[in-house]
Amino acid sequence: MKNKIKELRARHNLTQEELAKKVGVRRETIVFLEKGKYNPSLELAHKTAKALEINIDELFVFDK
Amino acid sequence: MKKDKFRLILMAAITLLVLITAAVYGFASFFKENANMASLFPLGIILLIILFMGFFIIRRYKDVKTGQPLEDERSKRVVTNAAAKSFYVSLYWLLAIGWFEPFFAKIAGQEHLTASQATGGGIAGMALLFFGFWFYYNGKGKLV
Repeated sequence: MKNKIKELRARHNLTQEELAKKVGVRRETIVFLEKGKYNPSLELAHKTAKALEINIDELFVFDK
Repeated sequence: MKKDKFRLILMAAITLLVLITAAVYGFASFFKENANMASLFPLGIILLIILFMGFFIIRRYKDVKTGQPLEDERSKRVVTNAAAKSFYVSLYWLLAIGWFEPFFAKIAGQEHLTASQATGGGIAGMALLFFGFWFYYNGKGKLV
């Protein structure tokens, strides 16, 4: 699953740590999310999308 | 946050208790009549476990200090995956202890392993397997 977290985080001038705090996870989780190496729960995906002010389906793109 | 700090202190206290137990065990093993290097082998495993715990606690302490949670959904998944896999593999490890008991006894310089040695070896093996799998899943990223 691809995502635009890194791009949007940069647009919002947020560090990984700041975004992690906003969504209530550890920084490592944001690192893995950005790399596309971790598939988040629906709750975390929703929180991340909300923090980055974007729709969840625009933030995460499912391609198989 | 306060709860996380309390949990970290609890972890540190448990690690300290294990360290004290290891020290007592090492002291007792060293001064036993038929002491050999093999009798100090379990001590090595305990020290490895303490080392891992020390590394884990220091890392988590730094994170908690910067306001990060002690655990989140990913770290919980890492622990769950590591625990499940280590439990599964440890069944084979326990079987191996039973099958190769004469071999392990020979290493320990005895004819047979005592019940406490076999149990201790089993538990230490499970702990090492858990730490190994924890490192693997923590760096892997893709988690079920």
